[in-house]
Amino acid sequence: MLIIASVFLMAVFVVRLFYLQVIEHSKYSILADAEQVKRLTIPATRGEIYMEDNGTPVKVVLNETVYTMFVDPKIITDPEAVKDVIREVAGGNTVDGFAKLVDKKDTRYQVVAKNVTRRQAELIKKKELAGIGFQAVVRRVYPEGTLAAQTLGFVNYDQKGQYGIEGRFDKQLRGKDGMLQSVTDVSNVPLTIGNRNVNIPAQNGANIVLTLDRNVQAYTEKALSDGLRKIGATDGSVIVMDPNDGSVLAMANFPTYNPSKFAKVTNANAFNNAVVSDPYEPGSVVKTFTVATGINTNTITPQSTYVNTDYITIDDRTITNATKGQTGTISIQHALTWSLNTGMVTVAQRLGGGTINRQARNTMYSYFHDRFHLGQMTGIETTGEVPGELIPPTAVEGNAVRYSNMSFGQGMNPTMIQVAAGFSSLINGGTYYYPTIIKGNLNDDGDIVPAKQKKPQENVINASTSATMRTMILKARREFYAGNDRKGYDIGGKTGTSQDIVNGEYTFDETTGTYIGFGGDTKPKYVIMVRVSSKGRALNGGDHALPIFTDISNWMIDYLKLQPKG
Amino acid sequence: MSYYSSTTYARRRTGMTRGYNSVAFTSSVKLGPVTHTVLVALMITVLGLIYLTQATKATSYDYEAQKIETKIAELSTEKTDLEVENARLTALDSVRNSSVARAMTSPGAPQHVSQ
Repeated sequence: MLIIASVFLMAVFVVRLFYLQVIEHSKYSILADAEQVKRLTIPATRGEIYMEDNGTPVKVVLNETVYTMFVDPKIITDPEAVKDVIREVAGGNTVDGFAKLVDKKDTRYQVVAKNVTRRQAELIKKKELAGIGFQAVVRRVYPEGTLAAQTLGFVNYDQKGQYGIEGRFDKQLRGKDGMLQSVTDVSNVPLTIGNRNVNIPAQNGANIVLTLDRNVQAYTEKALSDGLRKIGATDGSVIVMDPNDGSVLAMANFPTYNPSKFAKVTNANAFNNAVVSDPYEPGSVVKTFTVATGINTNTITPQSTYVNTDYITIDDRTITNATKGQTGTISIQHALTWSLNTGMVTVAQRLGGGTINRQARNTMYSYFHDRFHLGQMTGIETTGEVPGELIPPTAVEGNAVRYSNMSFGQGMNPTMIQVAAGFSSLINGGTYYYPTIIKGNLNDDGDIVPAKQKKPQENVINASTSATMRTMILKARREFYAGNDRKGYDIGGKTGTSQDIVNGEYTFDETTGTYIGFGGDTKPKYVIMVRVSSKGRALNGGDHALPIFTDISNWMIDYLKLQPKG
Repeated sequence: MSYYSSTTYARRRTGMTRGYNSVAFTSSVKLGPVTHTVLVALMITVLGLIYLTQATKATSYDYEAQKIETKIAELSTEKTDLEVENARLTALDSVRNSSVARAMTSPGAPQHVSQ
């Protein structure tokens, strides 16, 4: 009887076990997995951003782990001690009215301090007070403050890159989170039990090295800030480029902001990099392009002459010179030096054999657009670049009046980066280098893996034309503006002043001043373009933009250790 | 324990070939089905214990590994903090406003010698 009972009992167990382990296997397996197997995200570290400093990469954007401090008022045993330690250690990081939050006994979670450092957190932990917790948060750090703010951009509260490099390379900087799937114990410690453990390591974001030089950038910003303050202007931009490879050494804009405090910005224009995103009529600096087109097509030489009457008529429009009195038979060099509009319109006419016909317009467009790349995206590696506008001769608006205006820099809207890159090709021997701000990526060994650059466009003008242009632009500067230049160096440049459009009409009461030039020893080593403007102010290239150029140019000579001639 | 010599001999006889010797031993203890079951259960238990020992040993390594991982993470965070501190201290504004920089004088214009 006992044996039968035992067998029966065992049979019950066996049947029950069979039911649980075989029939219901899947169900309990899932339940067990849900309890024991944890999927943990291994966060990728966001890539850092470097600038050059005399050839050495230095970090200008980093990551920092900070902590959000919270309390559970219900389990706090000594509220006063908690308040004291918060005040004592994290006083500068507390949220408003944190003491009252500590006393809210009916709640379980109150944030009492933000951006607490690791040291502060450790000091507080050592007090071993019940009811205090910390949550780690990674934040972006910009130790250089406002330096190159528009070029760098920032990372918003959703950890998404906005503007500049942060925005353009968000995906590469972000990297890819890894995954750890493992059986864990009650403390979430991963255990090597089971055969379904998965460990996919995180791929950290790329470390990007910019072509921007920290020192050049800092000095450029200082020079722009000082220059704007002296003339009482509010807006300005500067770009400094190496004309021999298209690398951008500095891009500065005012107004500006601190990427660490992006939420405090009230003027959204501060986020924009006007150098690439704000096309405008650059005015007479474009005369260098017109003259180069004329010389390279063998239409003119610097010594070619024309009769200047201070005005010239194109169709139903009369174009006048801003500077009057240089009348009579004068050379193209003279017209460039004195920035005479009539001289440039004459060059445009001669491109068509005497009138600004379709041939002339086609030639100008071919040079301006296809060779100097005005009115089209340069491909600079930042957010917000716009193509600007250059009306083709095939458009209705691309008539003779339009192209006569374009010959002296009106009726067209290129960006500063386009003008600076095109100007570089005029004075570097005739090669157009696509502007770039990315030098490469820094690998784990600390070596720079160079970025792939676009193939330059060679012979946009002949080397002899380029040499002639260098001489002409040098003369244009030396005639009036070289007084403060360092002696023994080749420094050339051209002014530009353009009327702004107010209420849909051009006005002389509000003008933008521009200056573009180059400097170097045996060959040009830098190109600097400055733009200044201010609401309701008539600013011009010679008086307002040029001093900023001169300031930066003289500093660059020392910084690059250029040797004077003679 | 004794030998069944007769059986042995018989087998020797029947299986005897040149250069071949064989010996068979037979226990005098006879085990019943319950004993067999208990023995099997014991063997399974021992095997289970061995498995548990190994698993526990592996798990103890997991805790060691976790400790090391935690230490690495802490050191990594510390390194990052120091890098941030270094970047802040060597930022151009910090250097410009440092007491050392303030004590410096402006350089004169450089003189170049032509050879």
